[in-house]
Amino acid sequence: MSMLEDVPVHGSRSEVRGAKAPTHQRNLSLDFRHVTGAGGPPAGCGHQRNRSLDSVLQRIPEDMTPTSPEGAPLRIPIEVPAPRLALPPEVPAGSDDSGIHTPPDGADEERPQPPAAARSRESLDSGNPEDTERPPDPPDTIVDPPTKSEVSAADTSKNKDFLLRLFESKLFDMSMAISYLFNSKEPGVQTYLANKLFSFPHDDVDFYLPQLATMYIEMGDVADVLRPYLVHRCKQSAEFSLRLAWLLTAFGGDAKRSKATKLRDSILAEEIRPAARRGHHRSQSDASALRLATPTARHLGDLASGRAFDNGCLCGEQCSCGAPRLAPQTQFLSSLTNIGRRLAGVADKERRNGRLRAELATLDLNLPARVWLPLHQRPHYVLRIPPHAAAVLNSKDKAPYIMYVEVLETDGHEPLPPRLLPPAPPAPHSPPIRHTKSEENLVPEWPVWSLYSALDDVDAGDCWSHDDEELSTQYANRAPAPDSLSQVSAISALSTSSCGSRESVAVGAGEVRRRLADATAAPPPNAFKHDPADPSATALKESWESKLARMRSSSPYGALAGWRLLGCIVKVGDDLRQEMLAAQLLRRLQAVWAQERVPLKLHPYEILCLDKECGLIQPVLNSVSLHQIKKQSGKTLRAWLELEHGPPNSEGFLRAQNNFVESAAAYALTSYLLQLKDRHNGNILLDSAGHIIHIDFGFIFSISPKNLGFESSPFKLTQEFVEVMDGEQSDMFQYFKILILRGLIAARKHCDQIIHIVELMRMGGQLSCLRSSSAVSSLRARFHPGRTEPQLQTLVDRLVRDALHSLSTRLYDNYQYYTNGIL
Amino acid sequence: MATRKRSGSGSKRHLKEKVVQIYESFFRGEDLTTDNPTFWDEFFLLKPKIPQLEAEIHKLSVEQLLNMKESINLLVTQCIEMLGQEHHIRLVYALQTLSALIITMYQRVIQDSNLNVKVVLIGTENADTKMQKLFEHCSTILSGDVPDSLKSMVIKLLLVIATGMDNIDDNPLVEYLMLNSLFEPLIQLLCTSTERQQHGYDVVMLLMFLVNYKKEESANPYIVKLSILDDELALNGYGQVITAALNDFVMSTFGGMQGGSGGGGWLSSLTSMVGGIFLTSDDTQPVVRGQRNSGGEEGMLLALYEAAHLNRNFMTTLAHSSAAASSAPPSPPATLPPHQNPPNLSQIQALDNEQPTNLLVTFFQYCSIVMADTRSEASINKCSLCFITLTCIVEEQFANSIMHDQNLTFKVQLYRLPMRHRKIVPEEPPSQPLASTLIDLLVEFTMCHLLKKFPGDLYSLCLGVLVRLLSYQKRARVRLARDWRPLWAALIALLKFLVANDTALLRRHNIFQMAQQVVNIFNIFITFGDTFLPTPASYDQLYYELIRMHQVFDNLFYMALRYSTGDGEFKAEALRLANCLVNVRAIIQHFTPKIDSWLALQNLSTPTEDQILEVVRKNYDSLILKLQEGLEGYERYSERRHRELVAREARAAAAAARAHGPRLHAAASAAACALSHYSAIA
Repeated sequence: MSMLEDVPVHGSRSEVRGAKAPTHQRNLSLDFRHVTGAGGPPAGCGHQRNRSLDSVLQRIPEDMTPTSPEGAPLRIPIEVPAPRLALPPEVPAGSDDSGIHTPPDGADEERPQPPAAARSRESLDSGNPEDTERPPDPPDTIVDPPTKSEVSAADTSKNKDFLLRLFESKLFDMSMAISYLFNSKEPGVQTYLANKLFSFPHDDVDFYLPQLATMYIEMGDVADVLRPYLVHRCKQSAEFSLRLAWLLTAFGGDAKRSKATKLRDSILAEEIRPAARRGHHRSQSDASALRLATPTARHLGDLASGRAFDNGCLCGEQCSCGAPRLAPQTQFLSSLTNIGRRLAGVADKERRNGRLRAELATLDLNLPARVWLPLHQRPHYVLRIPPHAAAVLNSKDKAPYIMYVEVLETDGHEPLPPRLLPPAPPAPHSPPIRHTKSEENLVPEWPVWSLYSALDDVDAGDCWSHDDEELSTQYANRAPAPDSLSQVSAISALSTSSCGSRESVAVGAGEVRRRLADATAAPPPNAFKHDPADPSATALKESWESKLARMRSSSPYGALAGWRLLGCIVKVGDDLRQEMLAAQLLRRLQAVWAQERVPLKLHPYEILCLDKECGLIQPVLNSVSLHQIKKQSGKTLRAWLELEHGPPNSEGFLRAQNNFVESAAAYALTSYLLQLKDRHNGNILLDSAGHIIHIDFGFIFSISPKNLGFESSPFKLTQEFVEVMDGEQSDMFQYFKILILRGLIAARKHCDQIIHIVELMRMGGQLSCLRSSSAVSSLRARFHPGRTEPQLQTLVDRLVRDALHSLSTRLYDNYQYYTNGIL
Repeated sequence: MATRKRSGSGSKRHLKEKVVQIYESFFRGEDLTTDNPTFWDEFFLLKPKIPQLEAEIHKLSVEQLLNMKESINLLVTQCIEMLGQEHHIRLVYALQTLSALIITMYQRVIQDSNLNVKVVLIGTENADTKMQKLFEHCSTILSGDVPDSLKSMVIKLLLVIATGMDNIDDNPLVEYLMLNSLFEPLIQLLCTSTERQQHGYDVVMLLMFLVNYKKEESANPYIVKLSILDDELALNGYGQVITAALNDFVMSTFGGMQGGSGGGGWLSSLTSMVGGIFLTSDDTQPVVRGQRNSGGEEGMLLALYEAAHLNRNFMTTLAHSSAAASSAPPSPPATLPPHQNPPNLSQIQALDNEQPTNLLVTFFQYCSIVMADTRSEASINKCSLCFITLTCIVEEQFANSIMHDQNLTFKVQLYRLPMRHRKIVPEEPPSQPLASTLIDLLVEFTMCHLLKKFPGDLYSLCLGVLVRLLSYQKRARVRLARDWRPLWAALIALLKFLVANDTALLRRHNIFQMAQQVVNIFNIFITFGDTFLPTPASYDQLYYELIRMHQVFDNLFYMALRYSTGDGEFKAEALRLANCLVNVRAIIQHFTPKIDSWLALQNLSTPTEDQILEVVRKNYDSLILKLQEGLEGYERYSERRHRELVAREARAAAAAARAHGPRLHAAASAAACALSHYSAIA
């Protein structure tokens, strides 16, 4: 995980390392103090941790029996002689790239080792100029980490010693911790690693939360050691509590009273709460008195109450009233998923859309509330869900929908803004009321009245002023105030002036028609028309910037500094757990490529599984599906890109083309590695910069839609794609192939990071994509560990050729067209 | 205590008689309290016998009543006292007794206008304090955590007071409701769904009546507060109650027409509807059928009008489509007046479950039904009310922006009259912005009432709505992607009708003004079409229609000339009409010879539309149009002109509410509920 973190800051890697050194490298005691100081874990955890240290060290016959966390000196790293380190000698002092690159290899205990010479040549040959500057990978003879069997079986003290040193090394990251937690059956090691979690940054751990949850569900012994850490985090954060509870729900089996269900139930029953602080007794009674005084939590979940997400807590900064901490959020999300559930029963798309908006309008009446969109990382509250911005997405029998949510980013427990009505739309040019001057239109019998309407005229522009003449006459029977008199005269002045010019004004009929023709001149061809049968097309085509500006100006909260607009797709009836796994793998791949400086571009997006069949997805901004492009514009991909970015040799087009190739290569390789299926054009997006983005990873590894086995090609590469790349003989197409090769080599180098995630998620058999017994081994095989680079190159050439000439891709597109109308 | 024991153990028969005995002796003028200081406490523990109580009062002559007034005052005072009781049985009985007293007194007043309700019921002394106390108690109960049935009784009592007299302005008791405003507790009841379902209909009705009290002269707090109400929940609640009531009416008229979505299902439902509704003979109009469960919906229409007229914030809720109705359907007894029982309501609601309700959509549908019938005075009134409500709506910026939102499209099935010259072709309504639907509605109205008994006022309201709509489109440069030809055809048909029947119509209507309104609408299209027409082709079509129908405009012009040359009373207006025809005439005179010569050149007699359009397109440039000022101007809607109508409708609603008289029974059953509730608690 630290690797992942380092990725964006390539340039300043050494600094980052330097900063981290104290916490990661020094020793346990420092780590502990760090954790205790920052998070303040309950005493129990501290105790546990000591025990675990004991249990590891007991078997190491040295003078290392620590008495207190602080008591452990800087012992281990110093005492260990350098050659015994599982790392190249230069690492501790080193600050160059190689240091950071080694750990994954170091953890590569299962990989069939290619000859060292071959491996170093690979990296030299990989075509990346950066690679040549780097020293070759450490020889395998030095890197000799213990294998799984060694850990469990051979209990030699030397091995322990070695393992401990590995664990304490600054290169030991979350990825390795997960791998060891999964593979080790040694209670001491498990306990040690579980406690080690306290010292990892939260983000690193959270990335592997699905794996932790799976282990919690499937591995009783690991569950026991993980529990203190998880409970600790739950107490700290409501968000984490819910995340964990959802994962436990999503991956939990059917067992009634398993440890996992118990933990989940106690989280959701709000039994795991932050410990109340000093004097909580009093405050609690105060609070309960308050709660009695105001009608509170009883509205929770009642959308018609206007306070469905209000837990009634009035405590401000730190809640101590015992109001439900998670209930508002769970209510919010279940309202969203219930909408999706109800929509699925509605027949046609247009009705669905209407229904969706109606449902959201009802929900919106309960906002702003202290609920959040779990896809967005920074703390925020939901202010408003404008119902008319939402749209139902294309799907035949399910009803996923996209909505745009206005949120307020906050630092602390700021008061929520009150519910506000949307502002008036901007007034059109001139006030509607007839001017007094046009006497030919005046109604003769109401001369006095026309004066009144002139008065109204004055503030007609201000739509929300209650200038009701009924009221004003009724209450004040006012004589025109001096200022309004002056306004009247101003108006009459205005009207006389325009009166004078009236006679002379004439216009040519041709002129009127020309203006009409100009104004209605064909809209830019890349604009999408509103299509009632495909309501999401227009919603998605609008650029994020313009949507943002439009929504901000039409929102009553738009002026708030922390105002943000977030998109969110709510999916019900689809198993998103595979999506989540895929997104996780995409992130790993992306990190690997970034680390190896291969310019492949993936676009992983946030996925949140709420349970086995529903969840939230972060929409990909500024993108439309290839299907929609074809349907709306009737153009080929290349023509569309030219339309959007300029003629073939323009800078804009070249940039877009480059993006296209780099992303297409990334997804081609990913498709091959993960066996992405169901690749019809509705599942492939094109963003406004030209990137290809694949969505919907419902069919990966060993499964395909209805298991038709249609898509036998390694990945989707149509003639249209090739056309965008200037054809098969072009440089761009060569570049495409080179990118795939380099990406494959880089991914192979770090393939265990990928494989161990997949292997772990196979436990329990929850994911149908991994049910096949060969799922993991064939994944490993697709990294082609035994091949030399020239062999890989041949492989890539073959894959591309197969993909390009695949009959099945065309077959599948036709199949999708005939069954689902997807172009 | 002893007597209570005895009465409790005694037979029910004896107990019944006891309260009746008390009534009898009370109305004989006997003083029952002197030898029994706890008389009232005991009296209100006896279940009131409303019919007997009413009968006793009706027995009294006017003189006797007046003589009895102190006793009655005392009874009323005691009832009011009891409303503050913790003891819910006394409270309920007091409420029942009070309601019965007030109802009966109002009935007596209607029979004999010399009686003064206020004097007989509350007397002249301390009247203010007594009534203040009454309404304070009401307010406490309405906002308190008490059973719904109790709240319901209080609302019924208030409705009894508000609808006691046909003309609410003459009702002396309502004055006290002004002094002691119950607006907030009432509005609060609209905010929560459960209470809205229970009381929403009554609350909205009550508010509507109260808003109509002395609109012009006095400071009516309900008007003020309703006009500035900005609680979205409450506004939505208000809108939803109206939507539900209008929707029930629409559904019962349309039958199974709505909601069928799939092609086959839709057609079959439509054919069955055709069999069920459209093929009925002329005298069993669907509108007549609809009246079976009318009664309530005029009141709701008035409530909608008041909100649309008074409150700008209400516009935000107009298009607030709400799924609440479908996800938690308001139970029919709650949203409908209790006497209504439309046959297959549940079935219709099930059918329509998919389509979320939306006040504007429902209102347009309702209008289409109401506007189909302009024969009786009552239906004309209802129609006018629909039109002035539409006028209020199309004057509002917010409502307009909603109605013109291209992304906010609806399929609205409007009701269409079968007529001799057209068949109702079953077709699914197009999905379009609501403004387009509104134009369809106006077109439909314009086409359907060119009758001997010409509803001229309605036409001029209709044209007013159209001008406001076009004015918005012109100013906001909104282009509705629609075919405008039906509208032009309807307007030309209207002109043709006016010209053909000028002498007959002139007796009752100023047809020059109306014709001028129509011609000015054409002028908007001709000179400002560039700002709101969807395509250049539609501008060509406009010219095509004008040229094609030139006869109508020629005749109109000659008629205007005819009336302007004489010394008739319409001279000025006829001249004005002739003036504003200048552009239309210029177009006709410009293109007709060009087309004729082209036809001659091509040796054609029956050109196609495309050929004519081609000629039109080629000859625009030599045509100069006069830009007329203020074409799209209009006077802001003011209630003054329509006060009469609104007051009349309010009176009708009050009479309807009173005539249906469900209150006593409802109150009685509510009381029974309340009682069982309390006995259950005990």
